[in-house]
Amino acid sequence: MSNSDDHDHDHNAAPMVEEISDFEVLEVAVRELCIEKGIFTQDDHNQWTEYMHTLGPLPAGRLVAKAWLDDDYKQLCIDDPVKASLAVGVDWVNSMPSKFGTPSDYCNPRILVDEPKVKHVVVCTLCSCYPRPILGQSPEWYRTPNYRRRMVRWPRQVLSEFGLQLPEDVEIRVADSNQKTRYVVMPTRPEGTDGWSEDQLAEIVTRDCLIGVAMPRADRKVDDKRHVHKAIHPYGH
Amino acid sequence: MANRENIMRHLNIVGQLQPALHQPQHAPYPDQIDNAHWRAYTRASHDVGGEADVPITWEEKEEEVWEHNTFVTCEVLAWRGMWNAEERRRRQNVDVGQTIYLGLPYYGRWLMTIAMGLVDKQHVKLTELIDKIEEVKQRAKENGGKVYD
Repeated sequence: MSNSDDHDHDHNAAPMVEEISDFEVLEVAVRELCIEKGIFTQDDHNQWTEYMHTLGPLPAGRLVAKAWLDDDYKQLCIDDPVKASLAVGVDWVNSMPSKFGTPSDYCNPRILVDEPKVKHVVVCTLCSCYPRPILGQSPEWYRTPNYRRRMVRWPRQVLSEFGLQLPEDVEIRVADSNQKTRYVVMPTRPEGTDGWSEDQLAEIVTRDCLIGVAMPRADRKVDDKRHVHKAIHPYGH
Repeated sequence: MANRENIMRHLNIVGQLQPALHQPQHAPYPDQIDNAHWRAYTRASHDVGGEADVPITWEEKEEEVWEHNTFVTCEVLAWRGMWNAEERRRRQNVDVGQTIYLGLPYYGRWLMTIAMGLVDKQHVKLTELIDKIEEVKQRAKENGGKVYD
């Protein structure tokens, strides 16, 4: 870079927070137009927002815990994940508020069962397909082109960046989600959990374990801490 | 032909594609582009699996109000029949082209796609959209620069 000009200060342009965000303006504009034109109602929008509030990784964690304790239920998770999801309060087919499933998630969940020498991990190379009804909204990193580019080709390296170092003799199977089929990983039950109740087990099956970038541990009830990129106007504050 | 050599070659070319902001000559002559480059340009730009990239720091991100609302609006538009999820995905992942695909925030593409869908399908006239944008901006200015209360 040349030192002969003094344009460097221009690179510190005013941050977006100083001006009205075109994204915010456009979001309000299209939403209000849809309501004014009768394409949907404010109540429709509110209902869907409330439905979103009910979603999160807890049902999937509960499903894994139940399967660890009940071999018949584990088999049901493999054979008929839609039916198995009902036991943890998730109805893929008749979910609220549309009563015919969410438009984007369809009804073909699959549970990928880890073994001591087989580790599954989930990606969506084409967009960001994710088992939302049972796991909630996907984390931002799952949506990045970087994760989607590399996970299918260098899974061992990417997993190590998430802090999961797998021995060479562990086979990694990467599942590429699509618009119809959504995957949840059922990790192996960790050591040190003998005699634990379903509630106790469910607590250690975190979101990252269910995507496959982490393994549950008896001493960990939350995902490893990562830096959080703050929003300008965060939702829910 | 989808053999390993051709796939690797394809990925190598795609890996070097960048949003074409500045080129000495855009729209090359026919003899300046080969079939492999034609294929790279005409692929769907969201088909990124296997492309090379450098390690990054994995981090969580808080959601903006507009991002959350954009997602909900897209789902409600499908619920009420303006589009289905396949069409929405094609519009926001493929139709936008590589520059916008890689250049906009994740939900920025979703949001742009709502506006374009409403206009394309003639639910909203372009002038109505422009007027509404101005109206929302004016309200925000009167509200101390805040779009949301």
